[in-house]
Amino acid sequence: MIQLTDLSYRYDRKGPDVLRGIGLTFVEGTHTALIGANGCGKTTLIKHLNALLIPTAGSVSVDGMKTSDVASRQEIRRRVGMVFQNPDNQIVGMTVEEDVAFGPGNLALPAAEIRHRVEDCLQVVGMTGLERRAPHTLSGGEKRLLSIAGVLAMEPKYIAFDEPTAYLDPSGRQRVLDIIRRLYAQGMAIIHIAHDMRDVAGVDRIVVMDRGAILIEGTPAEVFGHADLLRSVGLDIPAGTGEAR
Amino acid sequence: MISLGQYVPGDTIIHHLDPRVKILAVVLMSPLIIAAPAAGIGLITCFLASILAAARLSLSRTAAALKPVALFITAIFLMHLFLTEGRPLLSLAPLPVQVTWDGLLQGMYVSWQFASLVIAAAILTMTTLPSELVSGIERLLRPLRHVGVPSQDIALMISLALRFVPTLLEEYERLRMAQMARGADFTAGPLARRMRAVALFAIPLLLSAFRRAEELAMAMEARGYHRGPRTTLRELRLGPADMTALGVMILFALLYVALRMIP
Repeated sequence: MIQLTDLSYRYDRKGPDVLRGIGLTFVEGTHTALIGANGCGKTTLIKHLNALLIPTAGSVSVDGMKTSDVASRQEIRRRVGMVFQNPDNQIVGMTVEEDVAFGPGNLALPAAEIRHRVEDCLQVVGMTGLERRAPHTLSGGEKRLLSIAGVLAMEPKYIAFDEPTAYLDPSGRQRVLDIIRRLYAQGMAIIHIAHDMRDVAGVDRIVVMDRGAILIEGTPAEVFGHADLLRSVGLDIPAGTGEAR
Repeated sequence: MISLGQYVPGDTIIHHLDPRVKILAVVLMSPLIIAAPAAGIGLITCFLASILAAARLSLSRTAAALKPVALFITAIFLMHLFLTEGRPLLSLAPLPVQVTWDGLLQGMYVSWQFASLVIAAAILTMTTLPSELVSGIERLLRPLRHVGVPSQDIALMISLALRFVPTLLEEYERLRMAQMARGADFTAGPLARRMRAVALFAIPLLLSAFRRAEELAMAMEARGYHRGPRTTLRELRLGPADMTALGVMILFALLYVALRMIP
């Protein structure tokens, strides 16, 4: 379980709080969508989940380990995977297989285990056969899938996606959503920043953020019931999503 | 992306050799080539030709690898041709230079020596994946860990640089197109104006490279990057073929030195 307790964060000591008094929990086997207008702090929030950012006030704990504790950081990062928005800036390897091997390599796993994970993860995202390709020869959709495979190779329990369907064509978008659904079915906790409301219709819980704080939180039906409130913070609900799933 | 001896996929003995063996072979060959007398260079040419054949690298591929340095080789040749004293071959009378037989031979010899050096290095890069090359360098540097050389970090830096060359080139192209679409002209006008036009996209390119670096650093951290021991997908292991190749190289070097001892 990841527990955020009264989390506040500011980039500058004298600057304004970009996150204010956030309290949330993420449990294995649940799919949470994080929505909100641009600049409301969604990305800043998920960077707290694996100790990339440390709260200015309040705390984040992952399975009981505090992210402020330097000694736990490596283990926290193994458990909490993060897929960033721009796949180009998170591909490290000169080839597809080496990129997937980067995370397990950092965990100092033996070569045979790394090979095994690389094969598995490329199969999960449907990229078997592209092992030796250089990243710059991949399409935008394939780069996105590679960035997911690279995170899966760490075998995380929790995985946060920052707008995983941005810039994808309809079939690419469907492929990514299918993968997320499968990971969810395997019992992983999914935390999913979404812009496209169609992506969040089937989730367990929606958290709506506004200017660094949580506005409302609940099942899709509950959240989409507050249509006026959502519209007031610049969000639109898709027709007929209230009773989806 | 890098035209000097780009990797040519293949399934030959040379392709499958351990990258360390190939790197050491180039390191061993270089002084032999540099110190080679005219007869020695013939022997080396035969040796390189047989490796090229074994790696199934065609003459045109090899010539393509020489292309970036062709101008340099020509310059070396011409310098020797005109500036060596000896038996005149062709007099260019009012001019103070003349072509000599000695100059012709010396020029051919020195430029062939230089070409051989480039070919030896090109065989390495044409038969070895960049990633294997990097892990080979890493393994060869590993003993230097004890004196504080961070071999794994050096290898990671090289591979990140290679990984991002095409990405930055793409970005450069995109920025150039964007500027051109807004009427910038990089090909005409006085030099000062053209330079200003180049600065127009040099600065955004630099800024975006910094932003990328920052995001990349964060993504690497998120995937558990840390200072300290790491493992890799492919652990290099010297097989019988590698030992044989190393043996052949050393034998060749010894034979070569021995031949030079005999007057």
